[in-house]
Formats: sequence, C-alpha cells, structure tokens
Amino acid sequence: MGLILIFFFSVLPMAPGLAPLAYGQETVVVRAKLIQGEVPTDPAAPIWNTIAATEFPMSPQVHWQKRIGSVTVRSVKVRGVHNNKQIAFMVEYADPTQDPADAAALEFMIGDKKAHFAHGQPMGQVEGGPVNIWYWRNDTPAAADMSAMGFGTLKKQAQQDVQAKAVWKDEKTKITFKERKLSLRKDPKGELVKDPKTGNPIVDEETKVAEQEVRGVWRVVFTRALATTDKEDVQIQPGTFPNVAFAVWDGKKLESGDLKESGSQKAVSSWWYINAEPPPDYSIYLYGLIAVVLAAGVEFVIIRKVKKGQPA
Amino acid sequence: MRGPSLAIKGGILLVAVFVALKFVLPLFTAPLPMSLIYLYLFLTTIGITVYGTLSGESTEALLGPIFRFLSGEGIGGAVKSARLAVLVLFPLLVGWQTYSGLAPNTQPPAESRTIHPAPPGEFVGLSNPLPNTPENVMMGTGLYAAYCLPCHGPKFNGNGPASDGFNPPPANFADPGTIAMLQESYLFWRIKKGGVGLSVEGHPWKSAMPRWEVELSDDQIWKIIMAEYAGAGQKPRTWE
Repeated sequence: MGLILIFFFSVLPMAPGLAPLAYGQETVVVRAKLIQGEVPTDPAAPIWNTIAATEFPMSPQVHWQKRIGSVTVRSVKVRGVHNNKQIAFMVEYADPTQDPADAAALEFMIGDKKAHFAHGQPMGQVEGGPVNIWYWRNDTPAAADMSAMGFGTLKKQAQQDVQAKAVWKDEKTKITFKERKLSLRKDPKGELVKDPKTGNPIVDEETKVAEQEVRGVWRVVFTRALATTDKEDVQIQPGTFPNVAFAVWDGKKLESGDLKESGSQKAVSSWWYINAEPPPDYSIYLYGLIAVVLAAGVEFVIIRKVKKGQPA
Repeated sequence: MRGPSLAIKGGILLVAVFVALKFVLPLFTAPLPMSLIYLYLFLTTIGITVYGTLSGESTEALLGPIFRFLSGEGIGGAVKSARLAVLVLFPLLVGWQTYSGLAPNTQPPAESRTIHPAPPGEFVGLSNPLPNTPENVMMGTGLYAAYCLPCHGPKFNGNGPASDGFNPPPANFADPGTIAMLQESYLFWRIKKGGVGLSVEGHPWKSAMPRWEVELSDDQIWKIIMAEYAGAGQKPRTWE
C-alpha cells in the first residue's frame, strides 16, 4: 500500500513530462545560443557554422491585397546567438539573383497582447497589440526598426536600435519544397474517367517533397540589444519564447520594369518562436539536493516514530 | 486462508481507479486532465482511510502492514529488498521532482487552439438565401478558383500551392471533420469575417484566412459555400 501511495504521489506528477511530444518541437523555435564575447554581425563569421539552423516554410502573401500567387523563397533557415546583452539572428535563403530591392524582415509581437502576423491588423473579437519589425533592404545602408498596428500604419521608429549586414554568394544550395502535380485520371484504355455524380473528369493530385539545387544564397544578420529603452521594441528575455515571423522579398526587376516582389507582395511565414538560451542556474541542483536530504530526514523521523509505537 | 490485507485491497482499488480514469474513460469521453485524476485518487485515498479506521480492528488491518513495511519488523526476503528500494528511491524522486519543477522550460508554451469556436450570435441560424442550382455552384466554383484555391487547393483538401508556410494550415474541406460537421451559416461567418474574426480560443492572430467581406459580396460568399460542399463531396450539417 505504501509502495503504491509513494508511486502515485511522486512518480505520477512526472507523467505529463514523460508523455511523447505532440509535435516536432525543434521545427518551431529559433534557439539563440548563449556565447561568450561579441555577437557576430558578419554573415561570414565562422561561429555561424557551429549553430544549428531552424528551417521555416514560407508562403506567398495571400492574406490581404495586393496578393501574390507564387514567390521565389520557399523557406528560410534561421540561426541565433546572444551574449546576454546583444542578440543576433542570421536569416539564410536561396535567391538566384542579387538585386538592389532584395529585402528581408523579422517581425515580433510586443508586450503581452497577441498581434496578428499581418502587421498587427485589428482582430474582431480580440484586442490585439502592435508589432516590431526589423527590416533590411539591399540598397539601403542601414536596417530599419519599425512598428505597425494594422495595415497602413507601418512606420519607422524614432529610436533606431537594429543593425543588419547581408552577404549574397553565388554558391549552390539545396532547397526542399512540396511539389504538386495534377493529372486527369484515365482508364487502362486511355479514356478519361468521369465522376458519376457530376460527369466531370476526375483530377488526381500527387504531392511529394522535392529537392532542387539552386545557385545564389542571401545571408542576412540582424543585431540588436536584448533589451532596449524603447517601449515600441520587443524586449527579449532569456528563457522566454517570444513570437517571431519572417518576410522576404525577391526584388528582381521584371521586363515590365516592375519588381517581382515588393510591398505586400512578398513571401511570409506564420508566427513561430525564438528562445534565447538562459544562463546556467546551478542553484536548482542545490535545491534538488536539499529536497533529497529533507525527504530522507522525514523518512528517518517517521520510521523511528513507527518503531517506537510498535509492541516489543 | 487469509485473503489480502485491507492495505493491499486499498492499493488495488487505487490502481483500478487510476487505470479506469486514465485509459478506460477516454474510450467514451474526452480524456481527463491529470489534475482531475489526482483529485479523484486523493478522494479515493480519503475514503479508504476513513473506511479503514472505522474500528480498531480495521485500523490495524489497514495500517499494520504499512507500519511493518516502514519499520522493517517481521519482514524478510523480497519485501525487505522492496523496502530498501523504496527508502532509497523516495528521496531521490523528491529531489528529481524539485529539480524538474525549478529547471527552465525548454519547450515553447503549449497552445490549445479551438478549431471550431462558437460563432457570434448574428451568424447563428442563417440560411443560404440562394437556390442550390448548377449555375450557382458553377459560379461559386469560379469564385473558389480565383480566391480560395491558392490555399485550399484544387481538390478542396487544404493543399493549395500557397499553403506550405501557414500554421495552422488551410482547412481540408474533403475531411469529414471540417465543413461536413458545420452548418452553412458557420462557413458564412468564417469566410466573411476571416481569421481575424475568430474569438480568442481560435487564435485569430495566427490565421491567414482573409476577411473576405472586404472584397466579396454576401451572395458571392454563399455561392462559394455551395461550391465548396459540391467540390469536396460533402453535405452541410442541417439544423435539427
């Protein structure tokens, strides 16, 4: 009976932590590793090769006008480092050409209020908050620290805290993406198979993950202090999980003279997470040890009491 | 022949209650949270204790084996080894629990999104004002192709070419758990007001679903709804 009681009240609380993960955790968080010394501002810094990247899929912006049907960048790989004072993120993606209007951005929620990933646009039943956007464009020397709370409200902040440096290399890289093929179903004789209800030909869809080697890679490093004095900025506290979203523009000039992607016509992502690795806290081991000693002490007292109360 | 002691019977009852709540009940209802299971186990323990201490004899039957186990008096063999294991493991488990509780969380916060939150009252009980004719379905299919297909796909299965980067992904209408479970008025709300029109439990800040009332008329939305059901091979849930 004692065994069972001890099992229930000490092992079972651990049960939720022992349960299998419901989803692939490592694909939803950019882990900013804690390092010693200055954070790298150069995309070519060797330290970036030692940091694991998290890859996020991108979609064409279809949420609001002006929409775009397809985009150049299908995914971004993001790495992060921090030294408890400054944090740096490197966004890496395949882009066949280096163009003046190429651009990339990170977006964060500010404060406790949730914000829609489309520039913090208002939500009907939830009071939303603003977003902080770190924006880099190839033909602009400095990055822009921006704020928005709905369409048409995007503005540069009075206090600029973000730096960015980017390098484009004509190197090969592999990209993976979903490839979809539609085909009309045919019978063994080669005749189209029709839906008996509608009479229309049946369309089959095949989706597979395809891999393609492309040339051209952008690496963009955004750097900022973990905490700033600007209340329009996201404040990044080690150990927490602020939301982040990504946007990328392929600024290639088309024959018409228009840019392939600009303004709201861009590649976007949903909300994901960043996590700045907290500094090690060794006191938790001490408290664990104290708990072991206390529990053993309680055992000793109880057993001594029980022995005293038993008949000789 | 003596049967199992009251303590053993109490232990078996606790195990049975746990197994029933954790593994059997979810076969018929939604799974219970662990906090509630702990509460029921605690109540069961109270009940066993109260029952076991109703008389001196039953108190001895309940507590005697526990006291003998703890003191080590009169036990031997495997039980003695088990006692030693408990005495060693219990403080270690307490230490582990303390450490786990204080260690920083390495996982992002769990976010449970309600997939079909309740609609606002103004969107409850609406009926499609347009007749379900082949012409209306065809017009709706054209509108679907222009506005909805990039995300929800040509097969109405949420596998559109623009869907890859969105979390949550676009709804799969061919899945019997989506539009087949909903009335047309629900779809009308979701299309008209978009993802930003969801209540907080629907996590509107994550939804890429446009607020189509800005670009489409009510009639166009009703036609799209007819086309979605026809294209996905589903029927709307009707009012009972």
